[in-house]
Amino acid sequence: MCGIVGYTGPRDVGEVILNGLKRLEYRGYDSAGIAVKTDEGIYVQKRKGRIDDLSEEEIPEHDAGIGHTRWATHGKPSDKNAHPFLDCDEEISIVHNGIIDNFNTIKDRLIERGHEFRSETDSEVIVHLIEEEYEGDLLKAFKNVVKKIEGSYAIVVFQKDSNELLVARNQSPLVIGIGSGENFVASDVPALLYYTKEVKYLRDGDTALISRDEVKIWDENDEAITRETKTIDWDVEDAEKSGYEHYMLKEIFEQPKAIHESILGRLTSFEDVDFSKYDFDEVQFIACGTSSHAGYVGRYIFEKLAEIPSTVEVSSEYRYTSPSDSTPFTILFSQSGETLDTIAAAREAKRRGCNTLAVTNVMESSITREVDEVIYTQAGPEIGVAATKTFTTQIIILYLLAIELGLRKGVLSKDKAEEYKDELRKLPRKVERILDDKNEIKEMTESLVKAEDIFFVGRNINYPVALEGALKLKEIAYIHSAGYPAGELKHGPFALLTSETPVIAIAVKDHTFEKMLGNIGEIAARDSPVIIVGDEDKELKKLADLSYFIPNTPPIFSPVLVNVVLQLIAYYTAYRLDRDIDKPRNLAKSVTVE
Amino acid sequence: MKAVILAGGEGTRLRPFTATEPKVMAPVANKPILEYVVQALVDNGINQIVIVVGYRRQRIMSYFGDGDDFDTDIEYVIQRKQPPSGGTAHALYQAKNKIDEEFLVLPGDNVISKETVADLLAEMEEYSLLITKSDIPSKYGVVTLKKGGKEIENLVEKPERSPSHLISTCICSFPPDIFDWIEQAMGDGYYDIPSVIQRILKEKSIKAIRTDETWIDAVYPWDLLDVNGAALTGINKNINGLIQENVIIKGDVKIGKGTRIRGGSFIEGPAVIGEGCDIGPNACILPSTSIDENTKIGPFTVIQNSVIMRGVHIGSHSNIENSVIGEGVVTGANFSTYSEDSRVEADDGLHEVENIGVMIAEDTEISSGVTVESGVVIGKGCQVKSGRTIRENLESDSKAV
Repeated sequence: MCGIVGYTGPRDVGEVILNGLKRLEYRGYDSAGIAVKTDEGIYVQKRKGRIDDLSEEEIPEHDAGIGHTRWATHGKPSDKNAHPFLDCDEEISIVHNGIIDNFNTIKDRLIERGHEFRSETDSEVIVHLIEEEYEGDLLKAFKNVVKKIEGSYAIVVFQKDSNELLVARNQSPLVIGIGSGENFVASDVPALLYYTKEVKYLRDGDTALISRDEVKIWDENDEAITRETKTIDWDVEDAEKSGYEHYMLKEIFEQPKAIHESILGRLTSFEDVDFSKYDFDEVQFIACGTSSHAGYVGRYIFEKLAEIPSTVEVSSEYRYTSPSDSTPFTILFSQSGETLDTIAAAREAKRRGCNTLAVTNVMESSITREVDEVIYTQAGPEIGVAATKTFTTQIIILYLLAIELGLRKGVLSKDKAEEYKDELRKLPRKVERILDDKNEIKEMTESLVKAEDIFFVGRNINYPVALEGALKLKEIAYIHSAGYPAGELKHGPFALLTSETPVIAIAVKDHTFEKMLGNIGEIAARDSPVIIVGDEDKELKKLADLSYFIPNTPPIFSPVLVNVVLQLIAYYTAYRLDRDIDKPRNLAKSVTVE
Repeated sequence: MKAVILAGGEGTRLRPFTATEPKVMAPVANKPILEYVVQALVDNGINQIVIVVGYRRQRIMSYFGDGDDFDTDIEYVIQRKQPPSGGTAHALYQAKNKIDEEFLVLPGDNVISKETVADLLAEMEEYSLLITKSDIPSKYGVVTLKKGGKEIENLVEKPERSPSHLISTCICSFPPDIFDWIEQAMGDGYYDIPSVIQRILKEKSIKAIRTDETWIDAVYPWDLLDVNGAALTGINKNINGLIQENVIIKGDVKIGKGTRIRGGSFIEGPAVIGEGCDIGPNACILPSTSIDENTKIGPFTVIQNSVIMRGVHIGSHSNIENSVIGEGVVTGANFSTYSEDSRVEADDGLHEVENIGVMIAEDTEISSGVTVESGVVIGKGCQVKSGRTIRENLESDSKAV
């Protein structure tokens, strides 16, 4: 997955493109490049490394150009594998995001025809294929090429004699920014916001011609069409760090507001989905990574509040399960809405006859077109690669959904529902209180930096929170960590416990509390340092080497609070280790490959 | 032009309401005091703002971000350690690297208006100090003027006998040279702006600019009621949310998105109710009341001239008047407060306060049927069991069983 920016207009093209690329850095950042039209031909600068490594001074000023920030899928990160690519005659330049599945056969044929390839990438075949098809009309050649390539792509092309950009989209995000006397194109909205808030989202199969003064769009059948112009209601600064050292910390601190925004309006009446249209007895959650942990938490919430049996599937494995007669209502989570595995799972669920609902944070993202219903998490843009506020708001949506379904099914009394809603209203402040204690939590991480392995354990609804805590720590601190149901440690992992392996135990006062006390006692007896996160309790305090107690809350809502503590633990552990927190190695924000 | 807002201090005299956020974030008509200062600057076209933060700075930074929601650019500088007393000049000094031309300095903890700042801008010279009239000058820095009334003669902090009724608002304009003056003063062990001003007066003249526009100082918890009342007089009617049947709304009332006003409730402005609240049925909200977001007010409860902060839950059949209820306070049914002239114990001693109810700090939980007598201050995180009458202040985190 990669980031793309294109510009045609009177501004300094180098500045527009580098500025846009920086805002897309979260999409990938192992190499970057820019191509600009000049009077002498196409100027290209590209290299392995960060966008900051590109030299802005050297970029000539002209009226059109394209840029790219890359996250390697085919071919190692290197100068030559960085985009943009040129054809043999250096007259056409392209950037591409996605994967061309049939690139090998095309490449062999093109080599036979005498084309010289300069990189190991799949993307380069596109520019040579355009060159091959070109007979004086670039648009025609481009449209022919789009028909021949298979796979996922967002492509931007320009030719040395023209300041028009040609673009195509299939299963990779691409959005056109509308200016006056200038136009933009990018993989994602943050790259454009500094210049315009008016955007057109392209659909799969669309091609478009972007000139200074107009945008022409054709759909997959090559019919000229218009796509609605939408106004983005968040600002470029929303996507910036506002004084925080890392996006991740900023986003952790935005959670009280994000929770408030998510419940606002939905407590008085829930209108996102009209469930009277759907008839189902069971629910399945499908997602990857952090979002799948939201699904696991959702299972407990649905079973308790709405008495609906639920299962959780990991997106990439769902297709291998055998279809059965049952068609559970399917809820898919994807922060970006571009997670290819989850999009594929949405299609598969539909094929199996399930009704589908996507919970995503990104308006008009690809997954929204694959499902029957969409709920937006309203967390605002999330730039840090490690998901924080989007996970929290996914869980908030789950409470709201379960309350709605519980009321509908008649298993939840109105009175009880009001009680739960009151608790939801209290959550933003409770999260804020945990954030106030950040220094206390930071202190607790001192002992974690030396550890090579860390275990997270929990029971019941906090078992998935243990999984999420372990994932967060792995992602950003690069410390091996694993989440387990507390009862499972003695079935194997106990063999690994020593005085060098800290265990972070989640203990809240639900019906599993006594058992949890027993488990923690067993761990402490192995000399492992025990860090407890949970409800205040004297016994717990005795067992723990370190402890943090969350504000009083009913156990069913404890995951939201416990998770914030675990986020801070992961953040400060990584901080002490001087990790690249917002861009952990080998990871990218939205995973648009399978 | 840039402006530097000083927001690094706790505001100890507002305790216990500063336990988790600094005084500048105390809500007035559901907006932090600091927002009034930022807004006054933005309305005068000043949109490069530097905020000096310190105590609980995260709360300020996450609220204001980089100023985008307020149509301005906000940068932060951190005052890591405060000198033992005063320290306003030390705070300002932290912004030295951000300033290279004439600029404004404002305290972050006074409610001001667009016109207040406009008065300064209209007559500003290199060194200027905005002054105003006060009935109780001895609480402030008292200013005497030179003949002609256009220049400061002297500035005396909290004198026992006031030579005039004119006081310093601490809103100034300075050239970048001010940082040299501050360095000198700090070298001699003086860390506050009045001391720096006294030094400058020995060598240069400082223009005195008089304002009669909004400048309200909230020092003690009960002051929040007056400030809130004053801020509410300027609001415009704006009703969002869900208003059920038979609700009567009179006067200037603001109701936020996602709020539900249940049937039979009566609301008389000026009053504001924030987003995501649940009010009633049959609740009665009387003038000069602010209710902040995600608050729930139970049936048949009456609230008058009070500040109810975020996330508060008030049970049914309760009576709250002339009171300040902190964030996240929960009360059971039949909670009552008295209001009369009282002696109130604050952080710095006893004060006579007119017609005051109760002041309860955040996250205190009060069970059903509790009465709190007038002038009582309850700290944060206290627990009060049902049926009790509270006649004396409760320290934070204490239990009354």
